[in-house]
Amino acid sequence: MAAQTPDPAPEGEPQERHGWKWALNAPALAVLILAASGPLIIVAVYSFLSPGNMGGVAWDFSLDGWFKVFWTRDIFDPENVSWNWGNLTVFWRTVWLSIQTTVICAVLGFPTAWFIATRPPHRRALWLFLITIPFWTNLLIRTFAIQELIRGTGLLNTVMMGLGIVNEPVQMLYSDFAILLGMAYVFLPLMVLPLYAAMDKLDFRLVEAGYDLYASRFRVLWHVILPLVKPGFVAGSILVFIPSIGAYVTPRVLGGGRTMMLGNLIGLQFGQGRNWPLGAALSMLLLIIVMIALIAYLRTVNRDDGGRRG
Amino acid sequence: MAKSFSVRRLPGFGAIALATFVMLYLPIVVLVVFSFNAGSSQSQWEGFSLQWYAAAFANQQVQEVSIRSLWLAAVAAGVATALAVPAALGTTRVSRFPGQTMIYALINQPLMVPEIVTGIALLIVVAWLKVHTGYTGMGYLVLAHTAFCIPFAYLPIRARLETLDATLESAASDLYASPFQAFRFITLPLLVPGIAAGFMLSFVISLDTVVITEFVKSAGQDTLPTYMLGQLRRIITPEMNAIATLFLALSLIFVTAFFLITRKRG
Amino acid sequence: MTQEIEIAGLSKVFGQGASAFRALTDINLSIDTGEFFTLLGPSGCGKTTLLRMIAGFEHPTGGTLKIAGEEMAGKGPNARPVNTVFQSYALFPHMTVAQNIGFGLKMLGKSRSEVDTTVAEMLRLVRMEPMADRKPSEISGGQQQRVALARALAPRPRVLLLDEPLSALDLKLRKEMQSELKRLQTETGITFVFVTHDQEEALTMSDRIAVMSAGRILQLGTPHDIYHAPAERFVADFIGDTNFLDLPVTAISGDVATLTLPGGQSAEARLPAGYLPVIGETVTAVVRPEQAVLGEPGSGMLSGTVASSVFFGTDTHLHLTLSDGQDFILRRQNTADLPVPQPGTPVGITLGAGTLRVLRS
Repeated sequence: MAAQTPDPAPEGEPQERHGWKWALNAPALAVLILAASGPLIIVAVYSFLSPGNMGGVAWDFSLDGWFKVFWTRDIFDPENVSWNWGNLTVFWRTVWLSIQTTVICAVLGFPTAWFIATRPPHRRALWLFLITIPFWTNLLIRTFAIQELIRGTGLLNTVMMGLGIVNEPVQMLYSDFAILLGMAYVFLPLMVLPLYAAMDKLDFRLVEAGYDLYASRFRVLWHVILPLVKPGFVAGSILVFIPSIGAYVTPRVLGGGRTMMLGNLIGLQFGQGRNWPLGAALSMLLLIIVMIALIAYLRTVNRDDGGRRG
Repeated sequence: MAKSFSVRRLPGFGAIALATFVMLYLPIVVLVVFSFNAGSSQSQWEGFSLQWYAAAFANQQVQEVSIRSLWLAAVAAGVATALAVPAALGTTRVSRFPGQTMIYALINQPLMVPEIVTGIALLIVVAWLKVHTGYTGMGYLVLAHTAFCIPFAYLPIRARLETLDATLESAASDLYASPFQAFRFITLPLLVPGIAAGFMLSFVISLDTVVITEFVKSAGQDTLPTYMLGQLRRIITPEMNAIATLFLALSLIFVTAFFLITRKRG
Repeated sequence: MTQEIEIAGLSKVFGQGASAFRALTDINLSIDTGEFFTLLGPSGCGKTTLLRMIAGFEHPTGGTLKIAGEEMAGKGPNARPVNTVFQSYALFPHMTVAQNIGFGLKMLGKSRSEVDTTVAEMLRLVRMEPMADRKPSEISGGQQQRVALARALAPRPRVLLLDEPLSALDLKLRKEMQSELKRLQTETGITFVFVTHDQEEALTMSDRIAVMSAGRILQLGTPHDIYHAPAERFVADFIGDTNFLDLPVTAISGDVATLTLPGGQSAEARLPAGYLPVIGETVTAVVRPEQAVLGEPGSGMLSGTVASSVFFGTDTHLHLTLSDGQDFILRRQNTADLPVPQPGTPVGITLGAGTLRVLRS
C-alpha cells in the first residue's frame, strides 16, 4: 500500500487525549514541584550567589561558593590559594565510610539473605519480617540504641570491664568507628532485602548442576551463585551507598560534631551567619555524587539486561 | 551415617546469619530493657520499674511534641495518599503519553535526593516565604512532609493497581456502568488494600522524618524525633528509652498492619 | 426474520503509518434475531476485535455497525444493549455471586425488588442457587463460567457476546457447557455471537458460522455448508481433514464441472458460487477422508497404493499414494475387526456421490 489514504476518523472515535492523565497527576506534581523539585533548583541558583551578612544570600553572581568547596584564600593575602583540607578531609571520610559501610553490609548481608532464602518456604516470611522490622523502625531510635550501647558507661564497656578484657572504658563514641558501626547497623536491611529477592528467584537446579559437574562448594559459590545473584548485590550496594553518602543523623549522633560527614558539613553552613552559597554548592556536590552512583547503577542494570537478551 | 549433602548449605553462613540477627536486635532489646530499669543506669540492672514511663507521660514537652508528630503524620499521610491515588490512576494501565517519564522522576524524587539536601533546599524556600508572607505556622511542615510522603503512598497503590485485571473495568462498563460508576464500584473497592498500605507507609515515614523537620521547623514546632535529637546531646536518663520504646511500639503496629494488608493480596 | 446486528464495510486499523496493522478489512455481516452465530478462525484473525467492536470496547476505523436498527458509533459499551461473557470471566472478586449477577441491573437503575427477582431467576437458570452468597474465588471454574453467563444474561440484552468462554475448561466440562449454552440460548431466545477457534465447537453449536482469516470473512454459512462445501482452501483446511487434488477441467455445465481424475476416469464436482474456471484449466478439488470408500484394486474411480496406516480405534487413517503420485488420506470406519493393509498394498478408491467440490482459487 504505497499510497494509503488515511481512513477518515469516524464520529465518536476518541482521539488520544493525554490531558486527563496530566490532570490526575497535577495535584501531586504541584506539591512535589513546590516542596521538592523547585527548592532544588533554588539551591542550584544559590550556589552561584554571594553570601549575605547574616546568613542568606546577596543577589550577586559569584563562584566563591564553589571555590570554597575545594580551596581557601589566606585572609591577609587573597592571592595565596591553598587546598581546603578541612572540607577535603570530610569528603574523603564520607566516601571512605560509605564504601566501608557497603562492604560490611555485603559481607554480613549475603550469608543472612542466603540463610533466609534456604529456609522452608513457610518460615521465610517470618525471617524476612524480622529483617524488615528494623528497616521500618525509626532510624534515630536505632542510632540512639547504638549510642547507648557503646557509650563509656554503656552495656558493651561494662561487660568488657566485667570480663576483664579492658580495665577502663574504651572511648568508642564520637569516632569514625562509631559512625561506621551505626551506618552498617541501620542500613544492613537495605542490602539483605534485594539480595534475598535475587536468591528467591535463584534456580537451585543450577546449583545442583554445578555440584553434579564436580565443583567444590567454594567454586559453586564463586562460579554459579554469585554471578546469578549479582543483580541483588548491585541493587543492595546502591541502596546502602546512597543513604550512606548523604547520612546526617547517624554521624551527627555518633560522630558528635567532631567527626563530620558531608551531610553535617552542609547542615553547618545553614546556621546563623554561615555561608549559604558554600552550603548550596556542597549540596550540589552531594547530589552529583548520588547521580553518578545512580547512573552507574542503571548502566550496570541495562548492560546485564542486554547481555541476557543478546 | 554421614550427613546428607545439601546443595543449599554453605559452611558458616548460618552462623553469620544468626549473628547478624542478634546484632540487629541486641541494641533495640537493650534499649527496651533499660527503659524498665529502676535506676538511671544504662548498663546496671537495678530492678523493674515503670517510673521512666511515668516521667515521660508527665513531661509536658514530650506530650506536646508527640501530639504534634502524630497530628503531622496523620495530615501529611492523608494528603499524600489522597494525591497519590489519582496520580497512580493517571500513570498506571494507561497508554504511554508524553511526559510520563518526567512524572515518574518527579514522584520518586524524594527517594533519590538525600534528605539533608531536601532539608536545606526547603529551609531556603521557607526562610524566604516567612520573610515575604509573615506566615510561620505548621503549613510548611505539612507541605514538606506531604511531598516527602507522596512516593511512599504512591508505590503500594500503583503496585496494587498493576495487579488488578483491567478486564474487570471493561466488564463493568459492559454491564452499563458509567466510567465513574466503574471506578466507584469496581476499581476503588479493589484498590482499598493498596490505599491503606500507602497511608500506613506514609504515616510511618512522616513519623520517622527528622532531617527535613529539623531544617523546616520554626521555633516551638519540634516533633518527637527532633525533640529526641536535641536531647541526645544531654545527659540521658532512661526516660528517653521509655519514649523511644513507645515510639518503637507505635511504628511496629503500623508496620505489622502494613505487612498483613499487603500479604493478604498475595 | 429481523436483523439484530447489521455490519457494513467495517474496518479496523491499529496504529499509524508504517507500524499500522489492519485487524479487520471490509466486514459485511448481518445477524438474525435469535440466531446462534459463531465467528470462527485462528488466533489473530480478527474475530475477537470484531466482537469487541460490537461490544463497544473498540472503535471502528471505517464502516457502520447497527444493533437493533440503531447506529452504534459514538456509543460506549455501557450504552449498548449487548453484554459480554469474557474469556477470563472477569467476575468482580469483591462481590458475591448474587451481587455479580445483579450488577448490570443495579447500574441500569432497576429497583431492588426487581434486581432480587431477576437474580433469583438467573441463579435458577444456571443452577447456581446454593452458591448465591459465595465469592468467585470460592467456586470452581465451571461454576464461575455459569455465573459469568448469568451476569451477562441478567439485564436481558438483545445480544449476548461470548469471547471463547469455554477455552479455560477441561474437555468434559466443555462438552457439558456446550449443551448448557445451547439450552440457555433456546430458552432465552437471545441472539448469541460466539467467538471460538475450535471448529468442532463451532460446528456443533452454531446456526451459522463466519470463518475468518487475516481480518476478512472468507465464508459465511450453516455448519453443513461450511463443512461440505468449503469455498476456499483456507476454509477447507481449517475445518476438518481434507484431501486436496489438482485436477484438469474437461467440461462445465451450470455450476457443475467435469474433472479428470488420476488414472483417467471422469468425475463431476460442484463449483463454488460465482467461480467459473475455463476448460483445460487445472483446479483444486477437495474430498473429505471419510467420503472415500476403500475397495479392491481396479475397482472404484481412483487407484493407489497404501503408504502407511494409523490406527485410531474407531477408525483407521490410510495414507495412500495415487497413481499420479498425489497423496490421499482415506478414513475407514472399523465396522469389524478389519485387517490393517500393509504398506505397498494396491487399492481402489470410490468417492461418495457429490462429495467432490471445486475450490475458488
